[in-house]
Amino acid sequence: MNNKFDALKDDDSGDHDQDNCSPKDGEKEKNDEEEKDSNTTKTKVVVPGAGEHPLQYNYSFWYSRRTPGRPASTQSYEQNIKQIGSFASVEQFWRFYSHMIRPSDMTGHSDFHLFKEGIKPMWEDDANKSGGKWIIRLRKGLASRCWENLILAMLGEQFMVGEEICGAVVSVRFQEDIISIWNKTASDQATTARIRDTLRRVLNLPPNTIMEYKMHTDSIKAWEDFHGLVNASGGR
Amino acid sequence: MSMSSQKTTSQAIPTTRRVIINDAAHMPHDYSTTPGGTLFSTTPGGTRIIYDRKFLLDCRSSPLARTPPCCLPDIPGVTSPPSVTIKNDKAHPKKTVNNNSISPLADKSAGEDAQFEMDI
Repeated sequence: MNNKFDALKDDDSGDHDQDNCSPKDGEKEKNDEEEKDSNTTKTKVVVPGAGEHPLQYNYSFWYSRRTPGRPASTQSYEQNIKQIGSFASVEQFWRFYSHMIRPSDMTGHSDFHLFKEGIKPMWEDDANKSGGKWIIRLRKGLASRCWENLILAMLGEQFMVGEEICGAVVSVRFQEDIISIWNKTASDQATTARIRDTLRRVLNLPPNTIMEYKMHTDSIKAWEDFHGLVNASGGR
Repeated sequence: MSMSSQKTTSQAIPTTRRVIINDAAHMPHDYSTTPGGTLFSTTPGGTRIIYDRKFLLDCRSSPLARTPPCCLPDIPGVTSPPSVTIKNDKAHPKKTVNNNSISPLADKSAGEDAQFEMDI
């Protein structure tokens, strides 16, 4: 059981790479949706202000960064991820976005996550556990523009896949940056194909851009396989 | 006989949403969109509030979009505290949040990343 919830990280996609010591179990995970964890900044429901343009969904920005100087395996992903805030309108989005650094200016091993309110940027969240993500690896210098285009398309409901979109991630890594968009149902090929085609359109990607779809169950398994050797409780 | 199978029931008119335009920039730029987000009743999953990229970018210049968010956590080098004056122009919207004080850490973690990438 521990292994399942320890497996919060993804090595290459944007989620995370750290953490194998989280003691969480399934029940705790569900409770968190109501009580919110300690690194959640606020619990009140946000609504569009007067004269603002409402979004189809409320969203939350999150930020995570691997702490320098500590081995990744001793950190909890959930402890490392910090909720920046939630918004319900176009104007509220810009307030946050304009007061946050651009992805290309982030340092180290950092991620921005933008997820629908109530969905944690974790594989194990109920909304994500049967899902997956499209991953696009970007050479250095493109992340800020691609991230902005990606999240504007998501907020503006350009993907046309109903309730399927969960959120988006930009990951700054050493030699490349990665953007990804998560959806609920990895087995729904019509949905994943539509997301892929929309990504190509809104990101204006070159035809030879490699796009990879990864199911979260595979991400979890890969994480467990990789960390099994160093995880003392890893009795799979 | 066939009449009965053709019968359709009436549907309520969708809820009206009133949109007030404060700025010419908020007007749509083509005939297929409506002010304040375009509502499509034929998208998968039902009616959605849809905005195109240009409309969203235009909203950025609105005074409502320029005020700092409340409760913005101060993450050094990542977020700018509300007290900091921000120039919200499109060219360099986030200059002031770029905190160079963490660059020594960046160098250190960059080394870690290289090792990590090899681990994969």
